[in-house]
Amino acid sequence: MKTYVLQRLVIAVLTLLGMSLVIFTLLRLAPGDIVDILFSTAGYVSPSEKQAIMKELGIDRPYWVQYLDWLRQIATGDLGKSYRYDLPAWQIIRPLLPVTLELAALSMVFAVALGVPTGVISAVRQDTGLDYVLRIFSLAGLSMPAFWLGMVIILTLVTWLQWIPPLTYVSPAQDLKLHAVQFLLPALAVGYRSSALIMRITRSALLEVLREDYIRTAWAKGQGGRVVIWRHALKNAMLPVITVIGIEFAFLIGGLVVTERVFNLPGVARFLVDAILWRDYPIVQNLVMFIAIVVILANLLVDMLYGVLDPRVRYGS
Amino acid sequence: MNRARIAALPSLVVLLSLVLAPPATSQTPKHGGTLNLMLREELSPGFAIHETGTISTVWPAMPCFNNLVLFDPLKKTESVDTIIGELAEKWSWQDNFRNLVFFLRKGVKWHDGQAFTSRDVKFTFDMLREAADAPAKLRINPRKDWYANIEAVEAADPHTVVFRLRKPQPSLLLMLASGYAPVYAAHVPPASYRTGCVGTGPFKLKEWRKGEYVEFVRNPDYFVKGRPYLDGLKYLIIAERGTRQAALQAGKLDVAFPGETTKTAAEQLKKAVPQLVITPVSQNVNDNIIMNVKKPPFDNPKVRLAVSHAIDRRALVQAVHQGGALVGASLAPKPWGFWGLGERDLPGLPGYAAKPADEKAKAMKLMAEAGYTPDKPLKVEMVTRAIAIYVDMASFVINELKLVGIEASLKQIETAQWHPMATRGDYQIGANLTGIGPDDPDANFYENYGCGSPRNYSQYCSEQVGKMIDQQSQELDPKKRVELVYAIQKKLEADAARPILDWKIDHFTVWPHVKNLIPHQSIYNFGRMQEVWSDK
Repeated sequence: MKTYVLQRLVIAVLTLLGMSLVIFTLLRLAPGDIVDILFSTAGYVSPSEKQAIMKELGIDRPYWVQYLDWLRQIATGDLGKSYRYDLPAWQIIRPLLPVTLELAALSMVFAVALGVPTGVISAVRQDTGLDYVLRIFSLAGLSMPAFWLGMVIILTLVTWLQWIPPLTYVSPAQDLKLHAVQFLLPALAVGYRSSALIMRITRSALLEVLREDYIRTAWAKGQGGRVVIWRHALKNAMLPVITVIGIEFAFLIGGLVVTERVFNLPGVARFLVDAILWRDYPIVQNLVMFIAIVVILANLLVDMLYGVLDPRVRYGS
Repeated sequence: MNRARIAALPSLVVLLSLVLAPPATSQTPKHGGTLNLMLREELSPGFAIHETGTISTVWPAMPCFNNLVLFDPLKKTESVDTIIGELAEKWSWQDNFRNLVFFLRKGVKWHDGQAFTSRDVKFTFDMLREAADAPAKLRINPRKDWYANIEAVEAADPHTVVFRLRKPQPSLLLMLASGYAPVYAAHVPPASYRTGCVGTGPFKLKEWRKGEYVEFVRNPDYFVKGRPYLDGLKYLIIAERGTRQAALQAGKLDVAFPGETTKTAAEQLKKAVPQLVITPVSQNVNDNIIMNVKKPPFDNPKVRLAVSHAIDRRALVQAVHQGGALVGASLAPKPWGFWGLGERDLPGLPGYAAKPADEKAKAMKLMAEAGYTPDKPLKVEMVTRAIAIYVDMASFVINELKLVGIEASLKQIETAQWHPMATRGDYQIGANLTGIGPDDPDANFYENYGCGSPRNYSQYCSEQVGKMIDQQSQELDPKKRVELVYAIQKKLEADAARPILDWKIDHFTVWPHVKNLIPHQSIYNFGRMQEVWSDK
């Protein structure tokens, strides 16, 4: 296992290096730069003034110099300076991370708490009325975009209660109850979609396992339904479910753009879109790297869980 | 008079007193309270008003600053008669409008405690006009042209400043009264305004949480005694339009963003919350068509004129803005603006015939003269900014052009590329929006129609018009100046320099407890908040 983890870590570092090159290149391929945007707010562009600002920001240097400079900055823990805010990039990025991580984690907790039990019930009660109801419920979740659901929630609250969740970030230290409310609603909107996916995967994986010989043997031995389903069947059906959970969590870190916009949460995804529009390279590069790191860690964690859940999986031995 | 009539007198008096009562603004103002105001995007670049041209910066940054003079926040119409002193206690034109002398207030302090003097004024305006000996330089200086006529700024003593002009320019005072003309502190680097704000204004910056909000607190040392009334201001940044509207509806926001509320949105809001106070007001923003006069086919005046004739402005106002706009020429039309051509002046100009079919026929005739027929239509690429309000207008125009034999395909340009492309003249025809700071001919004409101006996207250049613009700028008789301004507007439309399609109307929305926040005919000039109070 240790060797496997080490191998995966080395691969992760190489992947991140490759990612950094892709991020850097794609960003430079996009037309326009921060100076064009700065002039855009002024309504004109002056070529001589543009050159001076490019020099001031260091984006007049050859691309390879800029790339190596960025790698050096990452290695030394200095993420550079935001072009847009004229402040250290870390100072901008740091407050965003807990918001997105909390929202993604809460959404996943909600998704698993709803998706796995309903998936199990649906599989166990295959082709019954309850199964059909749960399948329609999950299909609705997959069909409704989270941002749409979010907006419906907000408009419903405003229309019926003349109330709307907080519009600025409330930390748990400030007001725990309000903080919970602020995150619970978007987590429900996002988690519902993810739960639908998890429910469907759980159902199909469990149905497959329930047809296995060893499950029939367990039933034949007279074991109780709960033991057969939860201990023997579900444990073995969980591998694809864990994979989906890992992928979904990684997706949520960068994919909450519209939900963060609708609920006005100052998270990574909303800021990333803004930074891309402003061509704020230091913010974009480092935020995307952060997302890449989370994706790689999530995948690593999923692989570790395989080993824990399935004794047949023996890595590095 | 019979008894019944006499008996009715007291009720008549009460009724009359209600009808003739001054508006709510005459209530005794109350001190205290904080207002939550709407922002639709982050302040960029921070509070550096002199480095930007967007309301997204001017609106939330204005409470931090003062100008020498300002349009009276309590009067909705801006003109030379509504200008009041801020940092200047009084001012005086001398030498036949060649010298403008400001007598500054004493005892004014910057938010960091330093004293305000004439040195700060000289520093600011030398920097803005890019004087050879200016002690500082702005990174971007979008309104340099406003100050091109200033030959020197002299600090005669710590409380007197003289602006010496090359030629008479009464309009300079109006530009100095705009929200775009705050005085910066000489002891603070101009770049620092991108991250913070040291002003003399009624409110001091408390916190700017990036992407979330900007918070101000009352300046206890403000030089106007008893002002501001409010304890604080909080500008909440809400990127999503639906959420902004919901927040206003729920009362989480007290004030909408200027220029934000369309007619349709206003009707929805009023239906949901009848007590909201909605004031239709000009934005000083127009929809227009830019045509590159340096490139075929729009180097041909007939083709340009055909485009202008082809577009039915009144239909556009209904179809694209649901009636929430007014037709007009290059300055905001009456009753919202002071200088613009009114409805009665427009007939005879391209696009304003009583029957739209007549305009289309004229356009087709011009196209035929230029060598284009229904069998041989003109094919062009129309560019516009990839933002809904631009695209909606462009789509309407494309349809109109098709009716006169101009087949235009739409190309949407991302914001990052829009102004570089327009300044370079790297396009044939475009659908554009133009916002103007103060409602003043100088601020508009030099910037958008002046030969060589970077914001003259069509690159239209007429010696005759240039002379007329200079002439009106120096005209000291207000009546004659208005006549000249009318003539320039008619000439610009007749030349299809940049056909104006409409002037947008904002439905500025506040909750009823917000008092003394009176929208002006330009969204850029009424954000000081010094007189605003809350009746909550």
